[in-house]
Amino acid sequence: MPILECIDLSKRFGKTAALDNVNLSIEPGRVIGLLGPNGSGKTTLIKLANGLLTPSDGEILIDGEAPGPKSKAIVSYLPDKEYLPDWMCPKQLMDFFEDFYADFDRARAEEMLARLGLDPAQKVKQMSKGTREKVQLILVMSRRAKLYLLDEPIGGVDPATRDYILDTIIRNYNPEAAVVISTHLIADVEQVLDEVIFIQNGQILLQSDVDSIREEKGKSVDQYFREVFKC
Amino acid sequence: MLSKLLKQEFRATGRIMLPVFGALLILSVLANFSIRLLDSSAGNNTVLRILAVLVLVFFGAAIFGALIVTLWLMVTRFYRNLLKDEGYLMHTLPVSVHGLVWSKLIVSLVWFLATGLLIMLIVFLTALIQSGTNISEILAQLPSWAEVREMLASQGIRSGDITLFCAEFIALVLVGSIASSLHFYAAMSMGHMFSKDKILLSIVFFVALSFVMSLLTNLLGFRLHDLATLTVENGDVAMLLFYMRRLLLFSLGVELLQGALLYFATTLSLRRGLNLA
Amino acid sequence: MTWDFRNDLPIYSQLIEQIKLAIVSGVFAPGMRLNSVRDMAAEAGVNPNTLQRALQELERQGLVFSQRTSGRYVTEDTNVIDETKRALAQGQLAAFLDAMKKLGYERAEIIALLKEEA
Repeated sequence: MPILECIDLSKRFGKTAALDNVNLSIEPGRVIGLLGPNGSGKTTLIKLANGLLTPSDGEILIDGEAPGPKSKAIVSYLPDKEYLPDWMCPKQLMDFFEDFYADFDRARAEEMLARLGLDPAQKVKQMSKGTREKVQLILVMSRRAKLYLLDEPIGGVDPATRDYILDTIIRNYNPEAAVVISTHLIADVEQVLDEVIFIQNGQILLQSDVDSIREEKGKSVDQYFREVFKC
Repeated sequence: MLSKLLKQEFRATGRIMLPVFGALLILSVLANFSIRLLDSSAGNNTVLRILAVLVLVFFGAAIFGALIVTLWLMVTRFYRNLLKDEGYLMHTLPVSVHGLVWSKLIVSLVWFLATGLLIMLIVFLTALIQSGTNISEILAQLPSWAEVREMLASQGIRSGDITLFCAEFIALVLVGSIASSLHFYAAMSMGHMFSKDKILLSIVFFVALSFVMSLLTNLLGFRLHDLATLTVENGDVAMLLFYMRRLLLFSLGVELLQGALLYFATTLSLRRGLNLA
Repeated sequence: MTWDFRNDLPIYSQLIEQIKLAIVSGVFAPGMRLNSVRDMAAEAGVNPNTLQRALQELERQGLVFSQRTSGRYVTEDTNVIDETKRALAQGQLAAFLDAMKKLGYERAEIIALLKEEA
């Protein structure tokens, strides 16, 4: 059974359609790139999967069910926002995650914090932007979730942080879980992906294996993407 | 899960409310010294006099300030935690919208009550200390419960009626307080369903909801007409109690209905119309 | 070892190529235990499924073998390694000859040039 499935899914804001009749399905054990220019509908799709938006038409299913408390227990989400309460420190945040998520692996989070030399008692407010992003990623990746939805995890970070993020994603790979990474920086993530989904103007243009594209087109997904989107 | 949400909410609000309470207590002690100082001969020293008056002004401001902070916290916790960036964290927890809203309601209610009781206690104690009376003297002057009951019975009132009256009064305070919080919550939740002008629209919804709620109260108000025809004879305590209880029950009913409607509006907006920026 | 990927080929086939090269050049010595797929994928910065498939193909070719409990090892069979080395060399030669032919060299001229170079 797919871990994420969209059936004739549409989302409109007023008269503009952010997603237009999307059909797709994502299987466990895959690392998937959700690729498209800014404003193509990537974030809308991820928000719908998290129950942060309600579909205008059609449905979105997580492990066979509409988003709700049950799906939220198995989805680990990294928003494209600084969303942690700034008065909390990593230790309090770990308490919080441990309280609410049965799949939170505290030992793992502590180890990752220690490896980066981060102070568990430092308030989020006092952290640099890069450190905040790392703490967010550590919390999200320390869950043993079935579906990881990472919205622009590598947008606007330095190359070392980007490598750290991709390394973390690979090291946390679990054959029972799917990882969806939304980005417009394809060259950086391409090698980590099994599969890519091209999205434009709220419509799915293509869903394919990375190596199939390279095999058939004789070019990288990044080059192919530039060709398709002419940007 | 509600208990975990409550724990988190108390942690987030306690770090603001507890220092406020602490400041209030310290200022109340200082205020008592200041009053004494102004009364004593040392009060002739101008600098000390100015200081003492300043402390008293701060004390007055702190009482008012504590109420404002409680109200402000009720509004901003909901806004920042559920409708701004922190909403990405809170709305993706494996909890229901009901849990989120109730945790906010219960915690604000507790702080409202705590602030109210603390202020009453401080003012009462200050008045008591300054009047120079001894607590035990006052207690000794109070009639015993048996005497009260006898007095009420002579007016045709059973003690059960008084218990009910108190219970109804407390219920009204609780429900009324929750309904007022929900008035803010509903307005903000509705305003934030839109992509633009979220705060402006929240204010518009607040005014619109005020209008709808007062309309509702007026529509139901005809139930009170029979009360208007009643006349309370001088000293007719039983009739007065009857009148008060009818009024209380009516208000309780109205608050319950308003609260339920506002709760429905809040949770529906959050469930179906959530639109985090 | 360092991993380097070209844009115009599937990552799967490049992984096979580079691991083969590591084996025949002795970077991955005969009988050596390979890191876990997850660690190897992290080092190479590639998708673990893709690496897994590449390793399975290498297993099929007899270059690596897995033991149920202890992991994956480079083959100890030097014949297989030599054969692979030879196949890789032939591949390089074919490409070289092809390029030289495009430059207009005949077979005899190429051999003469090679001797000169040596």
